[in-house]
Amino acid sequence: MAMAVFRREGRRLLPSIAARPIAAIRSPLASDQEEGLLGVRSISTQVVRNRMKSVKNIQKITKAMKMVAASKLRAVQGRAENSRGLWQPFTALLGDNPSIDVKKSVVVTLSSDKGLCGGINSTVVKVSRALYKLNAGPEKEVKFVIVGEKAKAIMFRDSKNDISLTVTELNKNPLNYAQVSVLADDILKNVEFDALRIVYNKFHSVVAFLPTVATVLSPEIIEKESEVGGKLGELDSYEIEGGETKGEILQNLAEFQFSCVMFNAVLENACSEMGARMSAMDSSSRNAGEMLDRLTLTYNRTRQASITTELIEIISGASALEAAK
Amino acid sequence: MASTAAVPFWRAAGMTYITYSNICANLVRNCLKEPFKAEALNREKVHFSLSKWAGGKPEKPILRSDTPGV
Repeated sequence: MAMAVFRREGRRLLPSIAARPIAAIRSPLASDQEEGLLGVRSISTQVVRNRMKSVKNIQKITKAMKMVAASKLRAVQGRAENSRGLWQPFTALLGDNPSIDVKKSVVVTLSSDKGLCGGINSTVVKVSRALYKLNAGPEKEVKFVIVGEKAKAIMFRDSKNDISLTVTELNKNPLNYAQVSVLADDILKNVEFDALRIVYNKFHSVVAFLPTVATVLSPEIIEKESEVGGKLGELDSYEIEGGETKGEILQNLAEFQFSCVMFNAVLENACSEMGARMSAMDSSSRNAGEMLDRLTLTYNRTRQASITTELIEIISGASALEAAK
Repeated sequence: MASTAAVPFWRAAGMTYITYSNICANLVRNCLKEPFKAEALNREKVHFSLSKWAGGKPEKPILRSDTPGV
């Protein structure tokens, strides 16, 4: 009987005695790479505990980031919705021509500087690339103006020859019209364009942001189009006060329209970024919670298994002694 | 009043309409009384970093900071 016990436990006992001759009773928590009952290695509890601690920390951090994004969203959302009224009169007057065919298009891509905000930057870049393909061709050229670090990194890989300006650090100070108008001014002065297409994420709700394209035409194109007719053809029916000609007024209007549309686009993009970050951090904390649950189960299993092996060793040792008596 | 070829003085000086309206806005903001004036001027702060690209390479970035309306 003793021999049977010995033989049964021999597989367990011999390797343990041979490998660790000194430790008679070991604390299960200090064991590393412990041999299981059948010689299968199981993950040690120390490693699992470290992972649990780090996953818990990550969960706390992502929860905090979500709160921060939620509070920033509340602040910007009101401003973005109010700024929609800035460009609506322009669209009422000049109409919206997204499908206009011009020689020189400039695509202004708005993105964020910081990451961890979900997929919004990649959708904006996809739309920009699609616009490029739509508008490129013989005698036509498309240039990019990129606002934000993230889009710059993505577009640098394959469209870098078409980039004409990049702007970063726009979100360092709270967004205001003066800042955006200086930016618009720089773009106007440095880039030649017939049509400007601004690509941004329009904020519909906290979970819905759609990439949108806003088109602003240069005054010369507006003049040309107004001869063709349609909405722009009605411009002649307006009376012009003061000493300015229609061409001058159109130029002022076009510049101001660009500045207003940019302001609204920048605000909406900021809102979308906050919303996307909120949902990304939320799903990340949820994933961390699930991972923590799974790790806790593994930890308990490992702990119980090591306690069981400890007991088995003691008991088999005791019974071997008894049998030897 | 003006001949058809005359442009307003600010356009002749090289400013765009945006610049012109920002300068006017700055003048209006400076007319406010003290606590409101500081808040309003706070709304004019500008900060971004612009860099032009030539042939696929960025040139040295220009930092535009705290130049409201110019």
